[in-house]
Amino acid sequence: MPIPTLTQSIVITLIQCLLVVIFVFVVVPLTVFAERKVLGYLQQRLGSTRVASGHVGITGWMNRGMWKWGRVPVLSYWRGIPGLVADVLKLILKEDILPAKADKFVFFIAPALSMVAAVVVFAAVSFVPGVFFTFPKWFPYLGGLPVSGGIADINVGLLWILGVASVGVYGIVLAGWASNSKYPLLGGLRSAAQMVSYEVPLALSLLAPVVLSASLNFGEMSARMATGMPALALIPQILGFLLYLTCGFAETNRLPFDMPEAENELVAGFHTEYSGMKFGFFYLAEYINMTVVAALASGFFLGGPWLLPFGLQGLLNPHLPAFLSWFGEPHAIFFVVKIIFILFTYIWVRGTIPRYRYDQVMSVAWKYLIPVALVNLLLAAVVRCFAV
Amino acid sequence: MFKNEEMEINLGPQHPSTHGVLRVKLRLDGETITHCRPMIGYLHRGVEKICENQSFFQGQVWTDRMDYCSAVANNLGWAEANEKLFGITVPRRAQYIRTMLNEFNRLASHLIWLATHALDIGAMTVFLYAFREREDILDMNEAFCGSRLTTTAFRIGGLREDLPPGFEKMVQKFLAKFETCLEEYENLLSENRIWKKRTVGVAKLSAEDAIGLGVTGPVLRAAGVPYDIRKAFPYAAYAEMDFEVPTRTEADTYARYLVRMAEMRQSARIIQQCMDGMPEGPVMAKLPKILKAEVNEVYHATEAPKGEIGYYLVGEKGSGNPYRFHVRAPGFINLQALPKMAEGALIADIVAAIGTLDIVLGEIDR
Repeated sequence: MPIPTLTQSIVITLIQCLLVVIFVFVVVPLTVFAERKVLGYLQQRLGSTRVASGHVGITGWMNRGMWKWGRVPVLSYWRGIPGLVADVLKLILKEDILPAKADKFVFFIAPALSMVAAVVVFAAVSFVPGVFFTFPKWFPYLGGLPVSGGIADINVGLLWILGVASVGVYGIVLAGWASNSKYPLLGGLRSAAQMVSYEVPLALSLLAPVVLSASLNFGEMSARMATGMPALALIPQILGFLLYLTCGFAETNRLPFDMPEAENELVAGFHTEYSGMKFGFFYLAEYINMTVVAALASGFFLGGPWLLPFGLQGLLNPHLPAFLSWFGEPHAIFFVVKIIFILFTYIWVRGTIPRYRYDQVMSVAWKYLIPVALVNLLLAAVVRCFAV
Repeated sequence: MFKNEEMEINLGPQHPSTHGVLRVKLRLDGETITHCRPMIGYLHRGVEKICENQSFFQGQVWTDRMDYCSAVANNLGWAEANEKLFGITVPRRAQYIRTMLNEFNRLASHLIWLATHALDIGAMTVFLYAFREREDILDMNEAFCGSRLTTTAFRIGGLREDLPPGFEKMVQKFLAKFETCLEEYENLLSENRIWKKRTVGVAKLSAEDAIGLGVTGPVLRAAGVPYDIRKAFPYAAYAEMDFEVPTRTEADTYARYLVRMAEMRQSARIIQQCMDGMPEGPVMAKLPKILKAEVNEVYHATEAPKGEIGYYLVGEKGSGNPYRFHVRAPGFINLQALPKMAEGALIADIVAAIGTLDIVLGEIDR
């Protein structure tokens, strides 16, 4: 295999970045769409089925098409997808209001901060171990070169992920503060306390895989967690998964922990004063964060690019007959399917349960999640000592 | 160096969970409410004064527009107050139909309460489930009197029309599925840990305070006082109905939730009894073309879904209009309890308190 020169590897990294950004910006609108539809069907309605523009313009054209194709039963579930185009157009074209008493610079920087922090996490996420694909020989400049399954193969990937993800809190806190308005301030205060509290059990629940796999690299961790674990490791993995998912809900401000933007109490929380694409950035950041949490949960607990979750793949593989060996190998598609499943869980939970009160959210973190996470860490350590 | 300051904040008049245009002035210490004053009047239209300038027949239209979620119950109170004023006896069949429609209205109003209360606490699916059933009730309103929300369902002396053909079928179809629908809501809420955490012990109002503030309806019954005008001073056909008055003693938001859910079951029972025992006969008493009052005054109270709605009417000799008209609106009186419920609680609790009081601003501001 040829070794790329420096410029070539930079170009390859840029291509990887582009692919990840495309992935993010395909998954996020589809999640928004799925949220409308899934929530709709959970609540015995159809969700969005049409867009405002009717018969003119791009959305009108797509809309007509959708209604026409919608006569095919399966396609009818996709009705309303032009609404996403209309939504983005609306966000871009809307007036960008700057409150008179806002701190202009901070008000401007806050949405960018939460957006960047959300996207950058993907740098350390490995979608598939090893080579994702190889450029064909005829390809100009990059012919024959391999593209790996993650952008940056960092040996402390998990630290990077946790570090960057916690920068996202600043976006929310600063937005609440810079708006110089009362409801956003309350939202900002809430998020400062909530997200800092939940980082602790979140990190503790991720320490269990770290202990079990003896690595901080995303790709190595997900490979060892999926294939190299004894049967005893099931307990810390399942417990850790539930803990991680709970904390993930809180970190991304989703129901039942959506304190910073609790609609029925704080109007819109920290982004009450935001409009236009600045609001759009917060909106995007929330969904990207959801995808990040889903990607981490999938990578560390659900077996990443392998088929089975919780390390069951490693137990199954020796018994797998040869003609089914495709299922014993890692594939990016499994990874993506698991992400989609967790995104669906987000919506499912939102449609099912009410919201905690602010003080209860805090007590859940400190009184229940942190002790359980510590016990889980201990379990993982015991398993590591005696079984691996 | 550090200054401790309380933040003053307006909850409303434009706010997702103040059920219209209620404005609550809050003083917050962090998230704790230290001071709470409801400010009303954003929807004031002067209903009482308008009614004094209209004939007795016309006034009913305005009662629709007070508590627009329970228009039928308001109509019933108005019609009966006038009948009391003029000494009119209403035919028995009309009484039964009134009772039935009133109970349907109680269901519709309680469903709205359940929907908005659950949405305020964050359970958004219950909201749409409850609206699904309310839709059927509104369809029945439409079949009976042509409009869905502002019904003007009754006339002084009885009803304008008998039940439309096929109405009985609609009622039976509704009653057949309603119990399972109630179970559906309860499955989502009753034993839900988060729902219980948000409601048990929240916004307490003891029986003494409730009586002292004049609070009526489910809020009073959840404090253990079995006061229901349908039982205490029976009107329409309630004396002939067999039903219970559900009460709880915990006096908190969860108790009020349970009381209202039990009341919905009782309402369904009353509707079934009305359908089974529906007498034959006319639906309208003989009335003169123009009602002219003697000097006379009446106060007539009925049990609206939200509490005691009382109509005070004064007649003037030889006049076709009421001389004085006053409404004792349950929402208005119940709202007095809000500071008592909310002070010392957290900001999320005031949202639960407003929801559990089940206020409608059209009635409070009139």
